[in-house]
Amino acid sequence: MQPRNNLDQASVIPDALKDFTIVEEPFYRASGEEVALFEAAYRMRIPVMLKGPTGCGKTRFVEHMAWRLGQPLVTVSCHEDMTAADLVGRFLLDADGTKWHDGPLTMAARLGAICYLDEIVEARQDTTVVIHSLTDDRRILPLEKKNEVVRAHPNFRIVVSYNPGYQSVLKDLKESTKQRFSAIGFDYPDDLAEAEIVAKEAGVDSAIASALVRVAQRSRNLRGHGLDEGASTRMLIHAAMLTRQGIPIAQACRMAIVLPITDDPDVREALTAAVSVCF
Amino acid sequence: MASHADLLNAGRWDDEWKSAHERIDQAGYGDLVASAYRQRGPELADIVGLEPVLRLGRAVSEFAIRTDKRTTSILPDSAVAVAELLYRPDAVIEWLLIVENAAKAAPSAVVVLLENSAKILDRVDLAGFKAFVSMGLAIGRRHPERQAAFFKMEDPEARRFFDVEEGADRYAALQGTLRPYLRAVWGIEPPMQVAAPDMPEPMRRRVGFGGGGIRMPPSFAGFDGEESRRIYRAAVAHVGAHHHYTEQLFPVGALKPFQLAVISVIEDARVERLAIRELPGLAELWLPFHVAKPGGPPLATALLARLARALIDGDYRDPDGWIEKGRTLFEQAADFDLSDQSLSRTIGGLLGNDLGQMRIRFDAKGYVVQPAYRDDNIGIWDFGDAAEPAIEMQDIVEGARVEQQQRDDGKPDDEAEDINDSEAVGKVSLNRDASEGILVARYPEYDYLVRKDRTEWCSVREHRVPEKPADAIILAEKAHADISSKLANMIRAARTGRTERLRRQADGDVIDMDACIDAAISSRMNVAPDFRVYSRYERRSRDLSVLILLDVSNSTDDAVQGGSRKVLDVERVSTALLSSTIAGLGDKFALAAFCSDTREDVRYFRIKDFAEPYDLRTKMRLAGLDSGMSTRLGTAIRHAAEDLSRQRSYRRLLLVVTDGEPSDIDVDDERYLVEDARVAVHSVNQKGIDTFCVALGSDAPSYADRIFGRKGATTVTRVEQLPSHLPAIFHRLTR
Repeated sequence: MQPRNNLDQASVIPDALKDFTIVEEPFYRASGEEVALFEAAYRMRIPVMLKGPTGCGKTRFVEHMAWRLGQPLVTVSCHEDMTAADLVGRFLLDADGTKWHDGPLTMAARLGAICYLDEIVEARQDTTVVIHSLTDDRRILPLEKKNEVVRAHPNFRIVVSYNPGYQSVLKDLKESTKQRFSAIGFDYPDDLAEAEIVAKEAGVDSAIASALVRVAQRSRNLRGHGLDEGASTRMLIHAAMLTRQGIPIAQACRMAIVLPITDDPDVREALTAAVSVCF
Repeated sequence: MASHADLLNAGRWDDEWKSAHERIDQAGYGDLVASAYRQRGPELADIVGLEPVLRLGRAVSEFAIRTDKRTTSILPDSAVAVAELLYRPDAVIEWLLIVENAAKAAPSAVVVLLENSAKILDRVDLAGFKAFVSMGLAIGRRHPERQAAFFKMEDPEARRFFDVEEGADRYAALQGTLRPYLRAVWGIEPPMQVAAPDMPEPMRRRVGFGGGGIRMPPSFAGFDGEESRRIYRAAVAHVGAHHHYTEQLFPVGALKPFQLAVISVIEDARVERLAIRELPGLAELWLPFHVAKPGGPPLATALLARLARALIDGDYRDPDGWIEKGRTLFEQAADFDLSDQSLSRTIGGLLGNDLGQMRIRFDAKGYVVQPAYRDDNIGIWDFGDAAEPAIEMQDIVEGARVEQQQRDDGKPDDEAEDINDSEAVGKVSLNRDASEGILVARYPEYDYLVRKDRTEWCSVREHRVPEKPADAIILAEKAHADISSKLANMIRAARTGRTERLRRQADGDVIDMDACIDAAISSRMNVAPDFRVYSRYERRSRDLSVLILLDVSNSTDDAVQGGSRKVLDVERVSTALLSSTIAGLGDKFALAAFCSDTREDVRYFRIKDFAEPYDLRTKMRLAGLDSGMSTRLGTAIRHAAEDLSRQRSYRRLLLVVTDGEPSDIDVDDERYLVEDARVAVHSVNQKGIDTFCVALGSDAPSYADRIFGRKGATTVTRVEQLPSHLPAIFHRLTR
């Protein structure tokens, strides 16, 4: 097999990143050109943003691509209380004084890995600016507290995911952050593809899988009209897995889809009734 | 049952009854009145005892003064009829008080109320009766001609009252879930409306659609509880199937009523079959309602119901040749291609001809579609221009709003009245005179006398605000430069003064040196060190939505005390200054104004929506506000809160600026609207929306405190101070 790019000549993975290497192929069913697009951006070291609703396969896609490219993947789930130090690293105390510990971003940049910031809008805007110097042609990460400048390893890449569904004024990316990224749009796969994914992931037959896809469409009809988002492919897989344990499909849908997705009694009742027309 | 009169001290009865009826006899009310009282008094005493009889005597005098002889003479009859229902002396006395009160307010209509009292009390309890009378009196103030019909329970509003009181309006309880249900199943959300009480009975019994909306029956007779839920769901799912698969209206042409009925049955079966192919569970939803069976009289209605069943229920067998033919034709077509809707016309036409030759009577007037979940079939037919519209939607447009869009040429777009959902069944036409406003919602109003809500009592119409040059506002903003600069400082402080350094944290960006040294000392002393040695900066974020609701009622046209400017002008400038403050702080906010002209027309003006920026156009709309009409505060609060409740902020604030007590021309009782507003505020607070009132003028405290609570209101006595006070109040509220 030909090397996929001329950049990964240093393909010996350092020990520290061994745990972050994906050994088995994560199942991913492409629904468009996203694999080729990602590879092109990878080769050109362009940061990538994956946009799409929750549970449509963004994280799985990154895992699949990391496996495909033979690169370790360092995932950071962003949250509101995350600080720049959580990404970059900090001094910790030990018996004799202080000792610097690299954060996940620094580690990925230093040793060469794909750093994946999941749900980046959840992090506060002043936290996310620390990635700026790594995402342009400088490819450096200054560690002021340590008086060090980390130069990114040639295999370092940055990928973020972003759910435009529930962004608000407070939860949005800074313009300066957005403009550093290329983006790949994701949505729920079409009926057939989604049924295929559900069948494959949960190990159920295609009749159950396509009934669950119809359920998902009912809930997606309510997006913005009672629900913030419709049921994700992930939820369908959960429901399908429950049916494999002998739970009747209606109950599986209630447990894995209807109850988690809404607290509004009216919407819950409507959705339960709508689910029941699907099979 | 032992009669009360027997138990009474015979002497007391004799004395008091004698003096009571002698007083009436001698008062000169006429023989008719006197004999009615003399005759009915003992009968009443037999049922409820002496007290109500004596009270009745006083009521007779009161009636004789207020009304005519005939009305007065009916009162004792009516009292006996009511007593037979109520059986309690205190309840009868309470009833007398209510009708006495009605006699004062509506001397000419009270006779109808007396005649119908027993009928009304047969349906609702005494508290319901009181609420009913109170509604009737309120209607009579504006429409005296409707009052008699109302008391006869014939007025639409009276019928709606009983629908709600008796729980007959089951749709009302279900509508909250039917809308999301229809959207979930079919992805559409056309306006749904319960059939008006004055519609012909067949229309009230079946679902109808067309004209961009769905008309729902208030209830399905014979379906209760879970059954009622199922049939409503079956009904909307069926309408959704038509929306999906009946792509064009069928031209009526020269078809006869029974042909229409047959073709409709085929079309119903066709869309249902297609829908079941898409969503198999629908079969289970619809099938249980198909219960027609062979046997019974050979009526067209029964045959059509059996045909409907034969086409959906594969297990059903019917001995009738005509039905078997229908099934065969339909199944043949189904095996081929069902998506072509002309096959309904073809098959229905064939079967219709056969039916005509069978000489089976078809009663077009009395025909009601079976099974009950199916719509009245009018929605799929095109009657041409001659016929009246298939459905008379009461003109409420849910989810509609007056939107003002900018065209490229910079002029407001006059065609920009949109309803949110353009994919709704057909299109709702809103080509109406914009000056009327669009009816967007109805709200209940609280009647404090009977402690009950009057259902759907007030109508909110959204009106467009004309845009006028905003020079005056911009000038005024400049004139208040001192305030502006103060506000700018305030904003700066509010924005930058908020990062806090948190020390001794278990987690943080930097090491807290002091804590670190302490920990090192501790560890050298062999004492367990405190590991909270970090510090971090934290910015407290604001997450606030605020809606500012301005009162633009007639009183805001008055000049400010000791000045020449109008109250509305001051409101305008203050709002403009406050808006710049809020925009500067980055909070989400909306501006709206209201006034009212009776309960039928509570006017609501959107000046700025949450999603809009605060810009020149907003100011132009602010400048376009005009004073007029009255202040129906409670309804305006309910409507504004609806808007606010859709905001997802951590804190939601409704800021009301008003210059006077709530009032309206169809309300005499000063307390009524104050109490309603108080209840409205309370219910809004329960939804997690904070309210605050800025009351202008010196008489404000009394009502503002009553409505908003003492901590929920502040008074600005000197109106000219409002521009500087308002932003300060806002800042204090949101700190």
